[in-house]
Amino acid sequence: MGSTISEKILATHAQRASVKAGDVVVCDVDYAMITDTRASNSIKMINRIGKKQLEFASKTALVLDHYSPPPNLEAAQIHTEMRSFAKQEGTQLYDIGDGICHQVLPEGGHLTAGNLIVGTDTHSTTYGAFNALGTGIEGTDISAVMTTGKLWFRVPETVRVSLNGQLQPGVWSKDLTLHMLGKFGAEGLNYKAIEYVGQAVAAMDIDDRMTLCNHAAELGAKAAILEADDKTIDWLNAHGAQTPKPVFADADAIYSQCLEIDVNLLAPQVARKHQVDDIVAAHEVSKQAIQFALIGTCTNGRLDDIRQAAAILKGHKLAAGVRMIVTPASRKIYLAALREGLIEILTTAGASFESAGCGTCVGITNHLVPGDGDTVISTANRNFKGRLSNPDSEIWLGSAATVAASALTGFITDPRTVSGGDWRSNV
Amino acid sequence: MSKVDLSCLQGQAFVLGDHINTDLHCSGKYLPNQSVEAIAKIAFDKLSPGFAVKLATANGGILIAGDSFGINSSREQAVHIMKIMNIRGIIAKSFGRQFFRNAINNGMPVLECDTSALLDGETLKVDFSTGKITRANLSTLEAPPLPKEMIKLIEFGGLIPFLKEHPDWKF
Repeated sequence: MGSTISEKILATHAQRASVKAGDVVVCDVDYAMITDTRASNSIKMINRIGKKQLEFASKTALVLDHYSPPPNLEAAQIHTEMRSFAKQEGTQLYDIGDGICHQVLPEGGHLTAGNLIVGTDTHSTTYGAFNALGTGIEGTDISAVMTTGKLWFRVPETVRVSLNGQLQPGVWSKDLTLHMLGKFGAEGLNYKAIEYVGQAVAAMDIDDRMTLCNHAAELGAKAAILEADDKTIDWLNAHGAQTPKPVFADADAIYSQCLEIDVNLLAPQVARKHQVDDIVAAHEVSKQAIQFALIGTCTNGRLDDIRQAAAILKGHKLAAGVRMIVTPASRKIYLAALREGLIEILTTAGASFESAGCGTCVGITNHLVPGDGDTVISTANRNFKGRLSNPDSEIWLGSAATVAASALTGFITDPRTVSGGDWRSNV
Repeated sequence: MSKVDLSCLQGQAFVLGDHINTDLHCSGKYLPNQSVEAIAKIAFDKLSPGFAVKLATANGGILIAGDSFGINSSREQAVHIMKIMNIRGIIAKSFGRQFFRNAINNGMPVLECDTSALLDGETLKVDFSTGKITRANLSTLEAPPLPKEMIKLIEFGGLIPFLKEHPDWKF
């Protein structure tokens, strides 16, 4: 009986010949990540276990991203505690402005194909873009990992999703995931590992693959994982990762479901206010006015996202009454955008850039709260009522291209209807 | 250390609905300067007014929910707060993945089954180790039992107490 990618990675890390869905296994973890929202609690728990030497500290990164920069004294104190813990234990620290955990981990060469990675954030599924099994955990888990190097896992059932055909220019993996959320519902693939395969995945660049795996968290997935190909290996090598050990599913692997999605005719999608699975094509809601456009987050704050926005807004101004904030996913992306002249293009158009980090996603940073009655169009992954600290505003979700096109017109706009909206990376 | 006996937990059923986000209704995410004890007094109040008071009057109980209890990023603190509220176990049609893990890691008994027949206020007897639920009218429901490793973690009161006795992870 064959195994899926997730089953193989979990089996290898549990030193077992094979595992099957439903088994509970104890695995050696390759790398762990703690963000500032969970650090204080995690450090308390590690101290409760009271182990003197944390051998795993050298395989852990502390990332100051959710409160980047800190909006209040409480957050600043958490950061101080993290810096001091990192210094004492010899843990890698990414300080404010360095970037979002899910961007700095791969960029920093901390993971490679075949790895098992855990992080105190639901969107740790992102690492699947590199053929690593990444999954979200909490403070208790991280304290166990840091003191023993191991963690328990329930082997998830795997759903194989074949993305057949080719995404049209102006249509991105964000649209694909929103489409799936509309079809299967939020948490529609709860507890499952998703294996994405097919022509459309092969055609995607790394940035778009990261969005695909990241956004699977909204489907409830425990992990979302791709096969490694030449693009993966080249990217990992270019970022100083350890030698990739690609893992492929067996031809006779057992899947709990096999889904086929034809992406050829997929149009840009948006999630309507308050619900991540209330999905409609962008062109169907073109009468919906917006006042606030946000590009950033671990889902869509990467260089290709900023390039899409710049391609659309180059030489133009934001529509009257619209403001726009961009938070690059990392300092490296910020710098690359600077070198490519994208920051000048977007700033001239009327956008503002803020520190690399989670600011555009969740209200806890408190520096971009929408006003009452505002409609926000954002590249974030979640749009619950009040997520940006004001329940009397609404958040709609779309790709960077859709957000930029909407900022240009002042209404939710299919990016394919504006100049530059069909931008494609030539890499 | 003494292990918790999961075979006969008894209590009044407190029924909530589907898709309950514990970050919103049972955590300090949006109440940053509040203690867990203070949040325990108001948790779930927006979904079921007076929830904490009713639970305290009944000397605790068993929380019943529908689909996806504890969806989204699910702070672990929610389980700590529920323990303070004397919630002895949770039975839901399904759980958010992270909440489910947090429950096991913090010694909160959980079961997954169709809860639509269960009535608010009825007394339940639940064997969280086998999944057998006995209702007030003596009819029974059978939830699939948890894997033995998860039962063991719950019996120990969570992952940290378990690792204190079993640093080698031998279940």
